[in-house]
Amino acid sequence: MKPPAVFDFQAEVEETLKRIQSQKGVQGIIIVNSEGIPVKSTLDNQSTVQYSALIHQLVMKARSTLRDIDPQNDLTFLRVRSKKNEIMIAPDKDYFLIVIQNPSA
Amino acid sequence: MSTSVANEGEKMRCTVMLKPSKRGSSLLALSSRRSFTFSGSKILDRMAGPTPRQVVRVFDEENNDVTPQPFYRTDLGAEPGSRFLMDELSAGSTSDQTTFTGSFTMPFSRSVLGSSRISSQSTIESVNEEMEETFCRRDFPFNLPESLLPDEKRKRGSVKEQMTQALLKGIKDILITETDTITLLDIPPTLVSVNADDADVIIERNKQYSEVCRNRGNNEQYVERGMQTLNGATKNKQIQNNLMLMVDTATIVSTFDMYAPPEQEVMVYSPEKKQTNDAETVVDSRRSPERSLSLTSSASTVISSCSLKDVETVGSSLNTQVDFEFIMMSDQFQYSLLLMERTVLRNNFQNQLAAYRKLPLLEDPDRLVKPKEEEQSEAETSCSPALQCLWVFHCELSRGCRVSSMAWNKKNPDLLAVGYGETDHRNHEQGLVCCWSIKNPTWPERIINCDSAVTTVDFSSNSPGQLAVGMCDGSIAIHNVQSADNKTPFISSRECAKRHLGPVWQLRWNQQELSFTGEEKVESLYSVGADGRICKWFVINGGLDCTDLMKLKQMNNKKTAECVLSVLTPGLCFDFHPSDSNIYLTGTWEGNILKCSCSNGHQFLETYRKHLCPVNCITWCPLHPDVFLSCSSDSTIQLWKQDCINPLLSFTSNQPVGEVRWSPKHATVFGAVNEGQLEIWDLNSSFLDPVIVQPAGPGLKMTSLLFASLTDCVVVGDSDGQVTAYQLQNLHVGESSQGDIIQDLLRSASPKELQETLM
Repeated sequence: MKPPAVFDFQAEVEETLKRIQSQKGVQGIIIVNSEGIPVKSTLDNQSTVQYSALIHQLVMKARSTLRDIDPQNDLTFLRVRSKKNEIMIAPDKDYFLIVIQNPSA
Repeated sequence: MSTSVANEGEKMRCTVMLKPSKRGSSLLALSSRRSFTFSGSKILDRMAGPTPRQVVRVFDEENNDVTPQPFYRTDLGAEPGSRFLMDELSAGSTSDQTTFTGSFTMPFSRSVLGSSRISSQSTIESVNEEMEETFCRRDFPFNLPESLLPDEKRKRGSVKEQMTQALLKGIKDILITETDTITLLDIPPTLVSVNADDADVIIERNKQYSEVCRNRGNNEQYVERGMQTLNGATKNKQIQNNLMLMVDTATIVSTFDMYAPPEQEVMVYSPEKKQTNDAETVVDSRRSPERSLSLTSSASTVISSCSLKDVETVGSSLNTQVDFEFIMMSDQFQYSLLLMERTVLRNNFQNQLAAYRKLPLLEDPDRLVKPKEEEQSEAETSCSPALQCLWVFHCELSRGCRVSSMAWNKKNPDLLAVGYGETDHRNHEQGLVCCWSIKNPTWPERIINCDSAVTTVDFSSNSPGQLAVGMCDGSIAIHNVQSADNKTPFISSRECAKRHLGPVWQLRWNQQELSFTGEEKVESLYSVGADGRICKWFVINGGLDCTDLMKLKQMNNKKTAECVLSVLTPGLCFDFHPSDSNIYLTGTWEGNILKCSCSNGHQFLETYRKHLCPVNCITWCPLHPDVFLSCSSDSTIQLWKQDCINPLLSFTSNQPVGEVRWSPKHATVFGAVNEGQLEIWDLNSSFLDPVIVQPAGPGLKMTSLLFASLTDCVVVGDSDGQVTAYQLQNLHVGESSQGDIIQDLLRSASPKELQETLM
């Protein structure tokens, strides 16, 4: 029972990532591990490295801000809306999931 | 004590007698000669002692009492000469500075002299010779009563007389007595005088020691020996070391870092799992403390520089691949993916979702709005009722499958279960049930594969995660949609002996009050199938079992002999009364509508005959207790009242009507779907024509319909597996109580319509 379940999860995850990538306006997906190294990305190397490093800092700052205000609180989702696109970050202690989307495209 | 005026002392050669005495006053005279030296030397020790008992009086050669007077005179009745002396003293003091200095040092010397009396036993000759000679004591006060020392007084007097007479004559003898020796410094010497008493002993000892020293050279007891410490030769050696790299790191510690202990962090991040994946989560939690520490407490700048370096040097290494797989395993990641997908979609479907939820549309400030579009949108807004297509639920899996039934979840109004399956063909195809969420129109939340085509679905009220699925082969399965792993149903009725022999046409969960308690609501599953039975199902031994509630006997058959085998007519639909859960209506293949009761399994309470073709759907009005609608394949929709045999209103459509539903909010609005179009009827506006007609897409047939409970939307399923959500716009409905509206309508409409429908 266990091995097929594991395999299904992987396949499901890959499928979900593909679906997200195929949504309208999505420019890229980056998955960063806890050390800040991008693990998977659909963008080019240069942008990936840049995004992962900068967003890591941003998330750390956001998280520490929240927890300074209330130590029992924690950051679950972060959306940064800019003129050209929107960056959505799902942080966790093991990874960051970053999706860049341009909704009006 | 030698307070004789120096100048006078030089001139006069009178003798002055100085005598220290322990009592009383004493006349003191100081010889002129000695007075020179003494006054010139200004020795400290010439001062008088502070003992009050001795009085020192000083007279000069002229027998003037030059004793310095104290500042405070204790005895005013002193000698008359004393005043004279004081004047002289004062005169002398002003003229001569030196003597005054002597007077300044008086206090010190007095104390010294006082101490010397105590230490007068000193044997050491360390005292100055001059001091010995000149020591005498002086007393405060100088004036003492004359009666103490009468002889001295007499002497003084005699001296005084002699002074006046023979100043220049004679030399007087001076008797000087010695005072006690004053020890100022006492350092015992290591030298002993040869003349000392114990000198002999010391000399002897010295001799012995020198003897020993001399004998040391030849004596056996003493061996002389040399020693040498070896000092190794120094040697220089050079080594080379790696440069010690100094790295400055800094971190900012916030209250967040100090607050959360690592154990708590693990617990907090344990996800609420939908999948039971214990092995992976255990690994996850074990690895997480290290990672959490590395994540939270390291400086961000260091990480960024590290990551850049690593990426450049390592490239695509196995490490990242392993990491990625590890990340993928975690439930949290899957949840994040879900969240992300919904967020991305929400961005895309922002307007549609806002319309669905009846939220004001937010204008995207960054979107470039072309003026041409604006004009068009303005022109299109009209006040007529219309349907606006919001989105379409469709995906790869459901393409080509026919939507057979839909059901909203009772607890979560955003969840829609859609059953797919071709019910016309008898070949046993695989059926599919998808649970869609409004938040994600592109992919269903749950996909359930069924063994045969699905004909009906319904969510339970008591346990909202349970979905009952009725299938074409007569079996009923109950699935639990809360767990993502839904390969096997929760319960299935496949093994049940009494299961339906034909397709299960409708399932319904119904709550019934227990007669004796009246409080509990027991929910049971009811089904009507093509074998003409209405069954009530319950769970026994992990399986379903049923009891027959009703058998639908054929009513219209004329020839009983032909229909021996099929005594029962298939029931196609049924619906329970909204308030009285004992009563239900059933529509049959023959076109009759039967009102039955749960408690009476043999007889029908009522039979409503109107339809000529199979009744496809029956539905009670949720806002009015006695009214129900029925639709059938004869393209008519009939509106009935419970106690009236004949329908009150009937509506014609152009094609066989598959489904009819009441609007949950407006009592006069209902929707019907036939193969070609969707019709929305509003009894307020018209009895003859539907208010809104939405034709089906080309090549599509609409098959099922549902109203959304909270909003003004309908969902329509079609034969291509698509479920379209429409929003009803501009339906003019009144504000008063809905039930009254329809009551009035019916009352106003019924006589006319009854006449019309009477054939």
